[in-house]
Amino acid sequence: MIRAYRAELARLLRRRMLIGTAIVIVVTAIAGAAIVLSAAEPAARVSSEGYTPTIESLSRAGGGTEVFRYVAAFWGTFVFVVFVGLFALDFSRGTYRTMLLRQPNRLRLLAGRMAAFLTVAAGILAVAEAATWVAARLQASGQGISTSAWNGTAALGAAVSDYAIVLVWVTGYAVLAMAVAMLVRSLAVALAVGILWAGPLEHLIQNAWASAPRFFPGLLLEAIGQRGTPRVGMTQALVTAAVYTVVAAIVSVVAFTRRDVTTA
Amino acid sequence: MLTVSGLTKRYGDRLAVDHLDLRIPRGVVAGFIGPNGAGKTTTMAMLVGLARPTAGDGTILGVPIRDTARALRRVGALLEGPAMWPSLTARQNLVVLARLGGQDEDRIAAVLELVGLADRADDKFGKFSLGMKQRLGIAAALLGDPELLILDEPTNGLDPAGISDMRELLVRIAGDDRTVLVSSHLLNELEQICDWLVIIDGGRLLYSGPAREFGAATDPEVVLRPVERAALEGLSELVSARGLEPRTTDGALLVPVGGNDALALAGSLNGAAATGGIVLSEVRVQRPTLEAAYLDMLEGVHR
Repeated sequence: MIRAYRAELARLLRRRMLIGTAIVIVVTAIAGAAIVLSAAEPAARVSSEGYTPTIESLSRAGGGTEVFRYVAAFWGTFVFVVFVGLFALDFSRGTYRTMLLRQPNRLRLLAGRMAAFLTVAAGILAVAEAATWVAARLQASGQGISTSAWNGTAALGAAVSDYAIVLVWVTGYAVLAMAVAMLVRSLAVALAVGILWAGPLEHLIQNAWASAPRFFPGLLLEAIGQRGTPRVGMTQALVTAAVYTVVAAIVSVVAFTRRDVTTA
Repeated sequence: MLTVSGLTKRYGDRLAVDHLDLRIPRGVVAGFIGPNGAGKTTTMAMLVGLARPTAGDGTILGVPIRDTARALRRVGALLEGPAMWPSLTARQNLVVLARLGGQDEDRIAAVLELVGLADRADDKFGKFSLGMKQRLGIAAALLGDPELLILDEPTNGLDPAGISDMRELLVRIAGDDRTVLVSSHLLNELEQICDWLVIIDGGRLLYSGPAREFGAATDPEVVLRPVERAALEGLSELVSARGLEPRTTDGALLVPVGGNDALALAGSLNGAAATGGIVLSEVRVQRPTLEAAYLDMLEGVHR
C-alpha cells in the first residue's frame, strides 16, 4: 500500500498540477466568498428549510470558515466527477494493467491510491480553507458582516470542525465515486451514472418523498456538508453515510479484485 | 523457468484457452505464435495475473502463477500495448512505475539508454510515436531487471524501420541472459531471434519446442533452375528416373530431399543435369521458412 501511495503522490504532486490547483483555489476562494457573503441574509428572513448563510452566523467566531463550508458545498458534483475520473480513467487508458504488473495485490493498489488522493485532497482543502477565510475577511465588511469574532481560539476550533466536515464529505464522495468507477469501468458511463444519480435523480426523489434525505447517499453527504438539516440530523447523516461508504468500499474491492483487467 | 498445465480460460460460452500445457526453459527467446484470437494474449494475461484462469495451473521461475505478487517480482511484462500516463514525461512515468513496483529508481537512466530513449526522457508520453511508446513500455518492463520478460506484440503498428529497431532491441535484451517470451504476427522477425517456439490455435497447443526442430518434419527441397526453360521437362524426367518426385514451379524444379543428404543430392542432381546436357543457372537447398511451416501446420489442423 505504501508503494502505491508513493507512486500516486509522485503522479499527483507535479509542479504543473500544483500551480493549476493553486490558481483554482485562489479563484474559487475569491469568487466563492463573494457569492456566499452577498447571498447572506438576516436570520429572520431565511427559511429553516433552505441552505442560506445568515449574517448572524457569519458574524460568529466560525463565520470565516463557514464561508469555506458553503463554498465547498457548491463543488459536490465536481468533487464526485474528479474522483470518478481519477479511478475510471485508468481503465480507459489501460494504465491499471500497467500498474497491476508492478503491484499485483489489488487491495493494496486501491487502498494506496485512495490514501494518496485523500492526502492530496486534505492538503488542498486546508489551503482552500485558509484562502477562503482570507478572501472572506477582505470582502466581509463590504457586505455588512462583522469579522471581529473571526480570530481567537473559538474561531480556530470552528475552523478545525468545518475542515473535518468538508473532509468527511469529500471522503464520502471519493469512495462512492470509486465504487461507481470499479463497477462500470468506463469514464463516460461512470460519469453519466454518477452525475445523473447524485444530481437530478436524488433531488427529484427528494421533492416527491420527504424522507429521501435520510436514505440517499448524495443527499446524506449534502446534509453532512450543512452540519445536518431539518430533515436529517448530523449524527444520523454521518452514521448512514458511513454505512454507505463502507459498503461502497467493499463493493469496490470485490469488483476490482475479482474481475480480469484485460481487453480480451 | 515457465510451465503451465491444463491452463484454461472460459469467457461465457467461449473457450479462449483450452487446457494448455507448455514449458519454456530458462535462457531462451521463445516466440509465441498463433492466429488472431488464438488465445496468446489471454494466456499471457493469466501468466501475469491480469486474468484469472478458469482451470489449470503453472509456475513462473518456480513460483505458482496464482501467487502473482511473488511470481511477478522477477518478471517484466508488456501486454496489450504500452499504457502510460500521457501528461507525464517518459522519466516521470518510469518514476511512478518504479515506486509502484518497489524498484530501484537509479535504473531509470539505464533502461532509457537501453531502449534508445535517453534523449527523449523529458518528453511527454502523449507526444511519442507508437514505436517510442513500445520502447518505453519495454523500458518499464525492464525496470526490475527481470529474469523473464513477457512481451505481447511489441512490433504491433510499427513501420519496417521500427520493426528492425525492435528486433535489435530484443536481441540486446535477450543477450543479458534473460528468458524472453514474445508474441508476434511477424514470423520472419521471430525466425531471426527465437530459439524456442510455442504455437497455439483456438486456445490449444499445436507445438512447443526448439525452433530448429519446428518444421524439421517438413523436407527441405533442392531447387534446380535450368538456363533454358524448355529444358525443364527433360530435367524433370531425369530426376524422376532416380525415383524422386519433383514438382515444377516458376521455371524451376523442386525436388523433395526425402531421407537423402540434401547437399549431396543437390551435387548429384547438378552432375546428372550436366551429363544430360542441361545447364543449370541455380542449384540450392531450400529449407521451409517458419512462416511456410506454420501455415502448413495450420492448414493441416483446419483441413
